[in-house]
Amino acid sequence: MSVSKASQPTPGSAPASSSEGLSSKGLGVGTVGLIGAVVIGLSCIAPAYTMTAALGPTVSAVGVNVPAIVLVGFIPMLLVALGYRELNRMMPDSGTSFTWAARAFGPWIGWMAGWGLIAATTIVLSNLAGIAVDFLFLLIAQLSGQAEIADLASNPFINVAVCLVFMAGAAAVSYRDMQTTQKLQYVLVAFQVAVLILFSVAAAIKVASGDGFDATPVSWSWFDPFAVSSFGAFAAGLSLSIFIFWGWDVTLTMNEETKDPERTPGRAAAITVIAIVALYLLLAVTLISYAGTGTGEFGLSNPDIQDNAFFALAGPVLGPFAALVSIAVLTSSASSLQSTFVGPARTLLSMSHYGALPPWFSKIHPRFFTPGNATIVTAIAASVFYAVMRFVSQNVLSDTITALGMMICFYYGLTAFACVWYFRKRWFDSVRSAFFTLLCPLVGGTILAVLFVTTLVDSMDPDYGSGSEVFGVGLVFVLGVTVLLLGAVIMVWQSIKRPDFFRGLTLGTDAPPSLRTTRPTEATGV
Amino acid sequence: MSGPLLVGYTATPSGPVVVEAASRLARALDERVALTMLLPDVVRGAVVPPHAGYESAVQESAATWLRDASASVPGDVPHSTHLQYTDSFSEGLLDVAHEIGARMIVVGATSDGVVGRTGLGSTANDLVHSSDLPVLVVPAAAASRSATDSAGGEGLPRITVAVGTRPGAGALVHEALALAAAGDIPLRLVSLVSLDLPGRVEHELADLTARAHVEKVLDDAAKTAPGARIEQTVVLTGSSFTEAVAGLEWLPGEIVLIGSSRLARPSRIFLGSTASKLLRELPVPVLVVPAAATPDSSNPNGDPR
Repeated sequence: MSVSKASQPTPGSAPASSSEGLSSKGLGVGTVGLIGAVVIGLSCIAPAYTMTAALGPTVSAVGVNVPAIVLVGFIPMLLVALGYRELNRMMPDSGTSFTWAARAFGPWIGWMAGWGLIAATTIVLSNLAGIAVDFLFLLIAQLSGQAEIADLASNPFINVAVCLVFMAGAAAVSYRDMQTTQKLQYVLVAFQVAVLILFSVAAAIKVASGDGFDATPVSWSWFDPFAVSSFGAFAAGLSLSIFIFWGWDVTLTMNEETKDPERTPGRAAAITVIAIVALYLLLAVTLISYAGTGTGEFGLSNPDIQDNAFFALAGPVLGPFAALVSIAVLTSSASSLQSTFVGPARTLLSMSHYGALPPWFSKIHPRFFTPGNATIVTAIAASVFYAVMRFVSQNVLSDTITALGMMICFYYGLTAFACVWYFRKRWFDSVRSAFFTLLCPLVGGTILAVLFVTTLVDSMDPDYGSGSEVFGVGLVFVLGVTVLLLGAVIMVWQSIKRPDFFRGLTLGTDAPPSLRTTRPTEATGV
Repeated sequence: MSGPLLVGYTATPSGPVVVEAASRLARALDERVALTMLLPDVVRGAVVPPHAGYESAVQESAATWLRDASASVPGDVPHSTHLQYTDSFSEGLLDVAHEIGARMIVVGATSDGVVGRTGLGSTANDLVHSSDLPVLVVPAAAASRSATDSAGGEGLPRITVAVGTRPGAGALVHEALALAAAGDIPLRLVSLVSLDLPGRVEHELADLTARAHVEKVLDDAAKTAPGARIEQTVVLTGSSFTEAVAGLEWLPGEIVLIGSSRLARPSRIFLGSTASKLLRELPVPVLVVPAAATPDSSNPNGDPR
């Protein structure tokens, strides 16, 4: 399949203005090598942050079967990412899910897909900043030797204040697009991985020497997805594991920016995912066998440590070297904050560009060339979300992660179906086409849809997640539904103010014709 | 020496001011304005994943900005637009300048909030400490001055040359004479000598030194360029720099030439401390001229490249 972009009315259709001899170099073609792509992938996934945030909630959903969930959870992610790649090739647009869903299903569904992406990334920003705050206090406590400093993080006022400072800092960095150099980022990622391996090995040694907190013998059944107690638990675990692989798809979608667009993205994606699965399995197995799945002091189902597992376990496992874990999580959160900020900001920019939001959002900063206004709005939304959640929920972080999993299922699922429907005339062009535009995204999208509905229904139970409830309904459910309804309300409001987009005038639905039937007509010049 | 005036354009409030100043100078010198916009290289770090869709949105936006800028250039001034990706904005400007054979680079200064003062952005700052081409720094304050002048004015009413005793002075005067001759523009000589001297030197002695120096410069100028019109000479005195500079009057559209410090490498710009202070205080565009190609003589070819 040829990469045909010129015919798409995306923001990419305008050629670079360059008169009188000087040619612009294009999109920095050939600048990311294989290692660079892997490092970007690992930075976006931020394994240290992801695992500390997701391990607890996942254990409380599926117990010792976390390794099985890690292995299975990758499948829907992979299937959807393959469809994502096809769409990105056809329509490289900063609006991604929004643009694609609008092209396939029309403006309303497109709008909600965009909203899902924005909501998910905004929620994860607040969670990231929350984790970073915890570890900042822990690091200060570890370095100063005064353990009580770490407890300051649980004071909601101090916590929210520091978190807002973090958020403002991260927003400023994103606004000005201050990036660390590639070399420094290589070092940070290598450090992060090394510390996680050290952490795992240390936990394994403690278990072997009988010093485990609740030493649990490792068993092959941990890797068996059918050993999970119920389908609900399985679905909950799976929707969390979607979160732990989230960000991995960037390795597949960097095409033109890589040195060898034919091979680099695929190889980078494979290397990244093998590394990340190995790392997650190692961490899950060693930490569960060290701490067990009980609700004791360091048990992974203990609600007090669940939303930030490494925070509690670093000290007992690594002793004097525990500060390394804090540094790894902090640096991982910092780069993840920055790469996460661009997602919603770019989508807001694209939505505004097509008239689905006020034009103010589509302003690109004239000096930093970032979606400046959209970045500020994202930071404010994430800050408000965090502050409200910190006071409403007892376990804000773990509940946001569960709600986040739900949100990712929503917009990824929509994107997968958008891929299937958009390419409907090309399904049977070739075996490759049938596989990547029909089979993979359809199966992936269906899995995510089932997960979304199951999580939504189950989370109505007030005992779901951390057990926080609002009006007798589970907080996670209220959160998910409120966020989606809020999106719908804003959508209706915008449809009254800006009807053009909603009439399909700025971004119409489309389906590229089959390549087999169009070839003869192309030859006649039609 | 000839060639287009390269404008480092940003779509900020300073953008139109810079274009206006460059157009005026280009008209006087009968040169082209090359509007250049630089975009950051897509892959500078390994944190934010590059995205083709977003990059094309940026490119589209940049193209629109350049079109608007291009439309704001007065009709009688020839101009071109250029878009370039770069790692470093100052290096990018120099690269483009050399590629198109530009005779100078024109950039805006940021107004840093303190009323009437001019701050240098990082790009302008890099340029005035390393460029091998003259750099015209246009303060935001230049806008309000020329607004009173109808329709962007005709040309340059006058060029002011700020001279000290530093080794750069020879090249500076040379450049000024060349500019003045090219556009048949009158010159004004402002001596910074007394401000350059150590603080403890008596006023009268400082004054005397400065006047003697101005005489010498005038002599030199008369020898090298007999046709030049030097309208006025001013010796700046005063207890403070700000006070001394505030006393100067400016014609709408006038520009100032200042030289590089003795720290400058041959044929390069390096803004000295006095010149930096001057740049911050002046409400008019300032052209910073590179040092001579050889340290102790004015450039015999008149062309630092």
